[in-house]
Amino acid sequence: MNSTLTSKLKDYFAYSLAILTVLFFILYIVQRQSSDFSFEVFADYQFLVVQGIRNTILVSVISLFGSMIIGFLFYLLQKSKVRYFNALIDVFTEIIYGTPLLVLIIVMAFLIGPAFNTYRRNLMGVLALIVYMSPYMKNVFKSAFSSISEEQYMAMDLFGFTSFQRYRYIIIPQVIRILMPPMMNNFSLIIKGSALLNVLSYNEIFFAIKIAQSRTFAFVEGYILMWILYLIITIPLSQLTKFVERKWSL
Amino acid sequence: MILKINNISHSYDVEVLHRLNFSLEKYKSLAIIGQSGSGKSTLIRLMSGLEVPTSGNILINNLSVSNEFHRKRVGFVFQNHNLFPHLTLKRNITLVLEKTRRKSKKEAEKIALKHLHLLHLDDQVNKLPKNVSGGQAQRASIARALSVEPEIIFLDEPTSSLDPILTHEVLTAIEELKDIGKEFVFVTHVLSFVRDFADYVVFMHEGKILEHGEPYILDNPKTDELKEFMRKVH
Repeated sequence: MNSTLTSKLKDYFAYSLAILTVLFFILYIVQRQSSDFSFEVFADYQFLVVQGIRNTILVSVISLFGSMIIGFLFYLLQKSKVRYFNALIDVFTEIIYGTPLLVLIIVMAFLIGPAFNTYRRNLMGVLALIVYMSPYMKNVFKSAFSSISEEQYMAMDLFGFTSFQRYRYIIIPQVIRILMPPMMNNFSLIIKGSALLNVLSYNEIFFAIKIAQSRTFAFVEGYILMWILYLIITIPLSQLTKFVERKWSL
Repeated sequence: MILKINNISHSYDVEVLHRLNFSLEKYKSLAIIGQSGSGKSTLIRLMSGLEVPTSGNILINNLSVSNEFHRKRVGFVFQNHNLFPHLTLKRNITLVLEKTRRKSKKEAEKIALKHLHLLHLDDQVNKLPKNVSGGQAQRASIARALSVEPEIIFLDEPTSSLDPILTHEVLTAIEELKDIGKEFVFVTHVLSFVRDFADYVVFMHEGKILEHGEPYILDNPKTDELKEFMRKVH
């Protein structure tokens, strides 16, 4: 008991020191700047920025669920006995892995969309985000399902669980626990990736601040604000991930 | 136990068992021993019905092991506990009873607690497998195997993943079960346990049964292979 307390205290101390180090570094950088910073100029654009935050969260959540669905479909196709499906997923995965998200967004909005008579660029942008994340989600499913051992399936066989019972009581409850942390990491990637939707003039955080910057000329301040806003969303998320990981590990 | 093994062959990538024949009557506790790769785990899996032989058949107490009723009368304990990791020790048992044996919640709970008590796990019933020791988890898995009221309990090297102290703990718990009226088939490397617990011993080597008999055969090995095995294990 005592030793865990000391180790906790040590942790606490180490983290406080680490955060102080980073703050000190930032302070030093700020001090070295020749111009004065003023964030007040953004007050006029409050509405736009709040809307940006809302939209970032909205597209991120849509992309998360969209890519989970497509990713699961990919996982099934990769597991399928039809070789063509396996090959299709492999080829697709290779292409996506090698493609910058920005390029995919442009291709979706300006090439693939119009080819199917769709000029709704925002929609195509979100679709690009979904498509981009799908192979990663597929891998999350793959590792989650493969972590259920062959012998567990044997035990299910032996006791005579029906197919439905296996999934409902044994497989899915385990898979969800294993799935959650990497899924949340992917969510964090999506949130950051959604910043690129600004090239389609979609009003998410990046775009909102870009507008504000162009009107106030407060460029550096704008980027600092943007940085802080993303951190406010992503750090609690990653802390939550760690918590879930600890709480739910099997 | 009346055991008849008729011309069993089994292959994975290579043939592990080749036309094996064997029969046995009246013994209640059968030990299968042999080096790794001798085919003993394969044999116990075939006998339990976990795997289906490539050819041949096995009858236990006059019922083929491919018969669906066979599954209802066996309990199986794996090398490592193989409990469902997201469920507590108690839930590991009640889930099986409620869903596959049509027991009510109350009944299932009663049976689970009874068997966990039998294996000295009263204090651990609400813990997850990861929060108990390897020996406790293995004992819980024995309790789970017992809880479905099997006629025959198969144990496939139940202590191979445990250290000597936990091995002793688990084997002692198994020995206490000797008089509960079940039949046992087990694979193990622990010869003292074979001597104490088995009524009959089968020694396998390269997929064949080279020697068999009551446990005294361990003291008077006839074949060079069993002699060598005894020397290595001791």
